[in-house]
Formats: sequence, C-alpha cells, structure tokens
Amino acid sequence: MDRLNNRGGYVVRGLLILLLATVVSGCESVKPWQRGTLAKSHMAPQPFGAQAEFREHIYGSRESAGGSTASTGGGGCGCY
Amino acid sequence: MLNLISDALRARFGFAQESSYASYRLLRRLRAKPQALMTQNRVDSGALVKLTAAALALPGLSLAPRAEALIDDPVSLQYGYYKQTPWQLLGGIKSQYSPLTVENIEGNGILTFPDHWKFSFGYVQDTWSGATPVTSAPYALGGNNPTLAGASPLVRGNGTILYDKKLTPWLLDPNTATYVPDARLVQTVASASPEIRNSGSFRLGREWEDMAFNVAGGVSQEPDYSSAFGGVNGLINFNDKQTALNYGVDYTNSSVYALINPSYSPYIDKSYYASRGQLQVETGPNGTKVEHLTGIRQDWNFHLNLSQVVNRGLLVQTGIGFVRSQGYLANPYKAVDMVFVNTKEDPVPQPDGEAGLPPLWAPSVQAAVERRPDFRDQGIWDLRFVQYVDDFDAAVHGGYRFFIDSWGISAHTFDVDWVQPIEEWSVTPRFRYYSQSGAGFYQPYFLFSGSEPTVGDRFNLAGVPLTAYSSDWRLAAYGSVSAGVTVARSVGKAMAFEAGFEWYRHAGDLRMGGAGAGQGSWSNVDYYQFNAALKVDLAAISKGHGDVPEGAHAGHSGHDHRQQHIGMDGPAGILFNHMLANAGDTMVGVRYNYGFQSGDMMHGTSKVSDLQIVNQGCGPLLKCRYTPKDMDMSMVMLDIMYAPTDWMTLMLMPQFMSMDMHLRTLEGASPPSPDDIHALHGANPFHASSGVGDIFVGSLFKLYEAPGHKIHMTAGFTAPTGSVNQRVNGNSEFEHYGMQLGTGTWNAWPSLTYNGYAGDWNWGGQISGNVPLETHNDSGFASGTMFQSTAWGGYQLQDWLQGSVRALFTSQAQISGQYYGNFVPTGPMDMPQSYGGNFLDIGIGLNGHVKSGDFEGNHFGIEWLQPAYNDYNGYQLERKGSLWASWGISF
Repeated sequence: MDRLNNRGGYVVRGLLILLLATVVSGCESVKPWQRGTLAKSHMAPQPFGAQAEFREHIYGSRESAGGSTASTGGGGCGCY
Repeated sequence: MLNLISDALRARFGFAQESSYASYRLLRRLRAKPQALMTQNRVDSGALVKLTAAALALPGLSLAPRAEALIDDPVSLQYGYYKQTPWQLLGGIKSQYSPLTVENIEGNGILTFPDHWKFSFGYVQDTWSGATPVTSAPYALGGNNPTLAGASPLVRGNGTILYDKKLTPWLLDPNTATYVPDARLVQTVASASPEIRNSGSFRLGREWEDMAFNVAGGVSQEPDYSSAFGGVNGLINFNDKQTALNYGVDYTNSSVYALINPSYSPYIDKSYYASRGQLQVETGPNGTKVEHLTGIRQDWNFHLNLSQVVNRGLLVQTGIGFVRSQGYLANPYKAVDMVFVNTKEDPVPQPDGEAGLPPLWAPSVQAAVERRPDFRDQGIWDLRFVQYVDDFDAAVHGGYRFFIDSWGISAHTFDVDWVQPIEEWSVTPRFRYYSQSGAGFYQPYFLFSGSEPTVGDRFNLAGVPLTAYSSDWRLAAYGSVSAGVTVARSVGKAMAFEAGFEWYRHAGDLRMGGAGAGQGSWSNVDYYQFNAALKVDLAAISKGHGDVPEGAHAGHSGHDHRQQHIGMDGPAGILFNHMLANAGDTMVGVRYNYGFQSGDMMHGTSKVSDLQIVNQGCGPLLKCRYTPKDMDMSMVMLDIMYAPTDWMTLMLMPQFMSMDMHLRTLEGASPPSPDDIHALHGANPFHASSGVGDIFVGSLFKLYEAPGHKIHMTAGFTAPTGSVNQRVNGNSEFEHYGMQLGTGTWNAWPSLTYNGYAGDWNWGGQISGNVPLETHNDSGFASGTMFQSTAWGGYQLQDWLQGSVRALFTSQAQISGQYYGNFVPTGPMDMPQSYGGNFLDIGIGLNGHVKSGDFEGNHFGIEWLQPAYNDYNGYQLERKGSLWASWGISF
C-alpha cells in the first residue's frame, strides 16, 4: 500500500470517495419502462465481449495484476 | 414452478412469466427502434409490459459483468493477432528471432432452452511463437549476443565483464579493445517454435425471476501446460432490479511439463527443482539427456460484484476479488543470472597499454531456473460506470481497478471508451493506463559481493541467501498505455461484424510517479493486436423464419422446404455443393475438418521398411534419419455466402489451419550430427504450426435447373494468405512442407456440381480441381495440382435427418520446386516427391436440418471418410481417415 501514500494515491482515493458518494446519494428510482436508454446495446457493461476477452487474455500474460472480479479460468501458461 | 405464479403477482411485477428468451427477441425490436419505446404511453400499451420485461432481461440490465454480455452474440467466431516489437539488444545487435507473435481463433455460442435454461460453450486456440526473454543481465556480460546454433542464448555471458570496487560493470569495448564502465542492462533473448493451446469451456445456467445461477468449467491444453477449471456463479436482483449482486467461486488446477531447452540446459542450475523431485530426466536416443520441469499449481478465485442503476442513463458497478494461488507459480522457461564479485581477492592484471584503469575484478557468473514463492494471495477492487451521453446517443464506459498481492506488487488500471453508434455502424475509441510496482523478489540480475557458494568445486545454489528470485520483466515496476478502436457493423437483423485494433506501450517511465519511478528503458517494448469477429444472432434468424412473416426470406417459409434445402444437406465434406435459393439470401456456416495419419510408412501401394526409407527416402545423395510417426491436421473454415441474384451466389471462405507432427528416429539411421536439432528433443521430436490459411473467394453460377435436377459451377480461387514461412528452432530452418499453413501461391479452384432428388432420395456428383497459378511461392515451391471427383447418394431418414454414402477420388501431383536456401532434408517429409498420390475414400455421413422451433434454419452435418485405396507418391505416412463436421444457418 506504500504506493498509495503519495500525491497520486491521494488524488485517486479522493476521486473514488467522491464518486462513491455521488452514486450512493444520487440513486433515483428508475422504473422498468424508464430503462429504454439503459437497454441500448452500447450501454451494456461490455458491448464487445469476445474482443474484450482477447484483450484481457493478452493483458493477463503481459502484466502481473491478473485475476478479476469476474470469473476466470484456463488462461493457459502465458509462459512467453 | 414459475407457471404457478398468480395473475396478481404477474400484475405486480409486470413480467413474471416472460421468458428471458422471448424477452430477448422483443428486445431486438426495441433496439431497432429505441425511440418508439420512449414515446410509448405506458398505461395503455400491452406491448410495453413485454418491452419492459425485455429491457429487464437485457445483458445491460441483468447487471452481470463480462460473461453475461455474450448473450448479445449467441454464435460468434473471432480471429485475433498479436505482435510484439523486437527487443532492444544494444550494440547494433539485431535479434535473429522474429518478434513474439500470437494468433488466436475463438468460437462461442449460447443455446437458450425452454424453462429458462441456458447452455453456452466456447473454444479457443492460441498459437504463439517467436522471441522471448530468458533472463536479463548487464550489457557488458554479453548475454545479448547471437549464438551460432540459434537455440542457446548466452545466459552466462561470454566472460568479458569485469567489476570495479563499487560493483559497477565494465565493458570490453570491441571498437577500442579497452575496458569502459557500462551499467546498461539488456535482455537475453531466446526463441520458441510454434506452440498451440486449445481450450474448451462451457456454462450451464438457470434463470429465475430475480436470480440466475451458473455452473461453468473447462480445460486448457498445451504441450507444456494443462489445466482444468470449474466454478459456480450467480446473480441476485433486488430493489426492483435496480440493484444486482454477482458472486462466484472458481477453482483451477494446472500442471506444468516443460522441456528445458537442451542446448542451454548445461548452463542453467536446476538443482532446486531436482531436490524437490520436480525435474524429470530421461535418456533420449544416442544418450542425449531430455529434461522436463514439472509442477502443479492451484488457484482459487472468489469474487463479488454489485451493480446499481443510478438513473436512466447511468449504471455503476463495483466489485472485489480474491485469488489464492499455490504450488509451482514460476515460469519454467525463465532464468536468473547470479553474479558474484569478490573484491577481497586480487584484481585482474591491468591489460597492457591501459594506464589509468581502476582495479577490476572478474566475477563468477551462474544462471539458475527462476524460483518464485509457492504461495500468492491477490486482492482486487474495481469500480466501473456506463454513462449515456444524450446529445450524441453515445455511451461512455470507464473504470478503475486496484490490485495488490503478497509478492509486493500493487497495480492501478484506468480505462475509458466511448461507444458511438452511427446508423448500422458503431465506432469505439478506447484508452487504457496501467501501472504496477515490482515484485519483491524481482531483480534484472542478482549481484553479490563475495565468492560464489560452492560444494567441492561446483556452484552450490542452496548456499545463495535467497528464497525467491526472478528476472521476468513482467514482475518489474513499469507502466503502460494503450489506445485502440473497435468498429462494428450490423448486417441485417441477424449478423454483425466487429473489428478492433490496439497499440500498447510498456515502459518503465510510464509508471505512476513519472520518469525514474519504474524500471529503465532497456525492457521497454510495444505490441499491437487486431481482431475481427463475425456474430450471428440465432434468435433474430429464428424470428425471421417464424414470427415475423414479412421478412425477406419468403423462400424459406415456402411449402417446398425440402427442395429449398436439399442441396445444403449434402455430405458435410463437400465444398461448394449448393447455391442459395433466392436473391437476398445469406448463409453463414463453419466447417471443420480433422485428418490424421499414423501407422506404417508407405511407398506406392505397399509398406516400406525403415532401412529402405533411410537409403531411398531422402534422394540419392542423402540418408534419412527421421520419419513421421503421426500427424494431425485440423482446419476450420468459415463459409459466408450471399446471393445477389438467384442465379449467382458469392462465397468467401477464410480458413484457419493447425497441424502437429511427431517424428521418430528410423531404425538403421546413422547417428546424428552434432548440430542436429531434432536429436536434442528426444526420440520423438514434436512440431506444431497453426494460423490463418489460404482464403477462398469465388462465385457459384446456376447452369441448369429442372424438377429433380440442378447443375451449378463454381469459379473461384484461393489467395496466398497462409504462411509458407513456418520455421523451427529459432527461425533458423523451414518446417516440413506439410506443416506450412498455406500454399503460398494463387490457386484456381473451379468445380462443377450436380444435385438430384426424388422422393426421399437424393444424389449428386462433383468434379473439382485445385491448380496453382504460379510455379513457386516465396519459399521456393508450389503444391501439386489436385483433381477430385466425388459421387454421393442420400436418403431421408426422418423429416429432419438424412443419411449419406459417397465415394471420393483424389489425385494430386507431388510438390514442385523446393525450399530456397540451405535446407537439409532429414526425412521423407522434407522431400517434395513425397507429397500427393491417388486416393479413394468412402464416406458415410448424417445431416440434420432444424425445420421449426427456436433453431429453425440451422443445419448441421457430420461425415467420416475412410481411405479405401491409397497409392502414395514417394514415402508417406499411412492415411487413417478424416472427419468433417459442418454447421450453418441461412436467412
């Protein structure tokens, strides 16, 4: 965590807290019939799934911070 | 159980009985006209309830992360390509190896069944080859120098480095022949022959009103690494589906079986692994030592993810993940250099004529296979958002991710993209920044003050005061930026093309904190990757066949269904055997072919002895040493057909090839020469190659049509998109001819096809030729002209199922020309004369065609071809048969 103990770290944390606070306080009731915009394909959390997986597969073999908050498994050795 | 939900409940939730599949279809309509929804009167529209349900079943609103988005592309096929820039080797040295390249092909599909069940599957094949760092060291050590054999990097340097009292390296300047201080670092690069990874995975899921639960698993296989994984994950919606919780647990078990490159093995200390029983040593032919590093690792992954609809245009997600890994977590191909400098000993004598040099000491340099802790805990937290931008009808996706682990690595990732729809197109520029600190046990190389520990007169690794050590550049402190763009286009309602490009820069100075915060520039590297995907939405096609009768595919819903599709139902192994029936029709399909050879070596129509091959298989001047033991070939072809008129069908057929081959030493062969690369890999050397093959482009023309009879011709050619420059052993030698991915020449590929049918019977015949239009390719050869003729008969076993029998005669000439340069054949597989021949195969097959229901329009086939008569050119391995499988959908 020592890496966060610098100015960049404080800025990051500050922004995150601000964002979280905005989210928590800013939720409004969105009825199902009001979700037309959210239903658009480009509003999906990951509109290009297969492509994103290919990118993640490469990041996973080139970078140390693998792992995910979604399911993983079977990425292979990545020994190169 | 859902059927029991009362009307009252249905009224309460508005969507209780709507199956997600039906919702999904409705959603397609919604997407086609999003504005319609916004202007609907919510009280009086009955459809609105369905639309609402549809919206709630959306991937976007199911609030599930990554994997759920797949629902949007029920069947997809993707090709990906990755290429790294060359490593900077300093001193004007250019790497003798091609930069690292990865090719990837991937297929995914989702099948939705009644009662809210879903099954999805995926298949991935990666092929990688090229330059990869083994270790890093001071430039003065000379580890960056090329080596003669092409395979053994100078892991322990070339004995030119000296150190001063402050332990600064001194370099022997080749220009002036004097020593100068030089602290620069450089990678020691080796190269790997192509290696293939195959992975298959599945997911079975059940959905409820406010929940979903999935079981998933799969396997991943490569020659040196295999893993199996499984897990469960689920989704719980609450707060009127405005909030969702995703959770999951995965377990992966992997085993490593890595061949230690025999040409550099003598220079690497493996004693740590030998002492733990992880080094398996076998004796190869002629007493060569074949060593494998083995190990098992296990990974547990837990994750929890919360999604929240904040307002009508903002979705926020946050998640935590925890991964525990244990076992063999190191990379078997990476080494570290350990340099010991004892300044208490006498310095080296001053070279003549070099006045003014400080005292300098000659170090002892050792190299060892890297070692990492057997345990790693990783924690991840991320926060993501999707914001709609009203003025542009665009969506912005952004996120931050924090990673920390027990190896001392912490990392920050920021990414943002902007998805801009423009009519049928969408353009998505994206940017990503990543920064990590280094692992506690990472050093570019390990420098010790004092003598090396020894046992007797040998280096004693156990005496080095370290419990973990790695010089893998990916464990260093650095940052990266990448930028890319994705372009997607939908074609009709059921098909979409996607292409993406990304450029990536890895650099020490890009680490958060700026210049000097990360590793020096010596390990900087760039890469680029691109990918292209075709997606077919089965649900939309089914809709076109069924509940939207006004679609442009009236031909398929006509009364004479059999007539429309009879041609499609021909044996799976026949290419170009049908045209599309109506102007405007499209067909998308995948064809798979697997062929294998094993058993006896053949010459003409009879078996030959090893000795005969030794003496005659490699021509009059050379003796053969090896022969193929078995060979697998698989080919994935994408069939894309479109009929602009009813008398012509355009066809595009990209191919993806992969081959592997085991060799064996021939009995009676003379001992290997010292530079025989195969001899170093044991008794059964293994080769593999994989990548894009030649692409076919052509047209099918209707020539004759009468009740019960159809004749068409195909005029087309293949373009030389497949590589004929596949090489082995660090790019130094050509692969065997049969392992090349393409022909390397433009080839004409005409054919003439007849289809007949009466009652439950159908029959047909085809003649075709594949003729190279050039005398040789860039590597010096051309494949032999091939002529094929086939005849088949089929019987309708069921309304939807047909059986077929056929005969196939193939005649192919030998390869003409030969590899350019100094190519030394080692066996008949290296001889142009030993390709082609005359062959007769008998095939038996089944074809199915779904004529109603959710999967209407899908057709599939499978066929086995059994060799019945073989007359081989030259000396070849026995053909054992081939399997064809096909799937397609027309709309």
